[in-house]
Amino acid sequence: MGYVAVKGGTNAIAQSIKRLKYNRIKKGEILSINEIESGMRGLIDQVMSESSIYCEELAAISIKQAEGNPEEAVFLLRAYRSTLPRKHYSKVVRSEDMTVERRISASFKDIPGGQILGASYDYTHRLIDFDLADETKEELIQWLENFNKEVDIIEDSTDINKLPKVLDYLRSQGLISDCGEKNNEPKDITKKSIEFPTERSERLQILTRGQTGAVTSLGYAALRGYGDTHPTIGELRVGSLPIYVDNPLNNDHDDEDSFYIGEIKVTEVETLFPASEEKEDGKVQMELEIGYGICYGQNETKAIAMSILDHCLEIGDPRYPTHDEEFVLLHIDSIESSGFISHLKLPHYVTFKSKLDSIVKTRKGE
Amino acid sequence: MKRRRRTEILIKGSTDIAKKLAQEIIQNYNVKTIEKPNNGLVMIKTRETAKKNLFYLGEIFVTEAKVQVENSLGIGIVQGNNQELAYHLAVIDAAYNGNFKEIKTWLQILLNEEKSIMADNERYKNSVLKTKVNFETMDV
Repeated sequence: MGYVAVKGGTNAIAQSIKRLKYNRIKKGEILSINEIESGMRGLIDQVMSESSIYCEELAAISIKQAEGNPEEAVFLLRAYRSTLPRKHYSKVVRSEDMTVERRISASFKDIPGGQILGASYDYTHRLIDFDLADETKEELIQWLENFNKEVDIIEDSTDINKLPKVLDYLRSQGLISDCGEKNNEPKDITKKSIEFPTERSERLQILTRGQTGAVTSLGYAALRGYGDTHPTIGELRVGSLPIYVDNPLNNDHDDEDSFYIGEIKVTEVETLFPASEEKEDGKVQMELEIGYGICYGQNETKAIAMSILDHCLEIGDPRYPTHDEEFVLLHIDSIESSGFISHLKLPHYVTFKSKLDSIVKTRKGE
Repeated sequence: MKRRRRTEILIKGSTDIAKKLAQEIIQNYNVKTIEKPNNGLVMIKTRETAKKNLFYLGEIFVTEAKVQVENSLGIGIVQGNNQELAYHLAVIDAAYNGNFKEIKTWLQILLNEEKSIMADNERYKNSVLKTKVNFETMDV
């Protein structure tokens, strides 16, 4: 059975696109890019993370065009990304160099540098603030002025640019095996389609750009018995990482000769999983294993869920779906999943007719 | 002043500084544009802390420009869509690569701006550390 070419929808499509614009602007208000950038931090972070391109302004424009629909905004950004040249690769970014604005541990009360709450919804009552409906710009400016005036001199020598990692403490105590740094060039899933089994670099790249809801749901499923055991957050930090690029005119990779190009805000999480290991003498020894999560912006739920899935995929227990890399990695990408689901809206007239014919035949007993 | 420190001051500081320094070169020399400010991506290579492997975190949107002043090449790269700053950074970079006489007077300007950035950082640090928890053990 062949495909049948049809036409006749051109005018309807033009009117449909026009109607889409009408729906965006019909209330007569224009949403400025600056307003979206200023007031929709969570959505911007989510869209930048899932589209795997860091630029708040581009994310804001995409969100405006998509009327706040993250799946559509991510699609727009990924499409735009494919038109841009990749000019450079950054020097290796280390989270030890983060300027921290939030840093907590659920494993230890006292950690070097202390627990820094930063900005978080975690300590709010989650009651709708109806006053926001009547908020005025004058009030906001006044509040900001007051906030900026509250610059006390803090008697605290903590350097938020060089906070020690909780993991380093555990490594120094021998509670986590200290693996050396590996310098293999990472694989890049945007250059070559993945093949199973994947390398760790591919898994982390797919997880970090995964759809927030999908990563969270699968991470949750793992905790509920479809995967790993209950982990404890060793450290969660939110902050800015500086990005440097080697001088393209010089091949000596001298740090001092590199270009500073800007900074990115990320959330990074290390979760701790108790595990038992059988030693050579047959004795079983307990130790801690680590799950790693990181994503653009402040998106703590996603980063924690990523760290759970990272650990699941490292273990690869065949009894659990969340340990199956094909199950996890092929289903968490926003473009892949929404694209495939959306394709069901495309005309399937011929294939469906064929199915219908088969049904009719079985009904007739042929 | 080496490139890393210089570009950090010029990007974190006021864009007026980069504009002022670049204008000096533009006025005194013939600046040839090799590559107009244009957009592209930089892939971020990251080291994770669980098994200490390298992986690609994602890309960052940048603007890049290339210029030639006398026999000296200059490159300007900055995150976001920032055409003017990228061009000014490229001109300043060319001046440093060519060791032009103007850069001698720039050192103090850059050091002053660095001080201002450090003061901002200190204020930011103090503000963030206000959210640091001071645990007290409760008597039960």
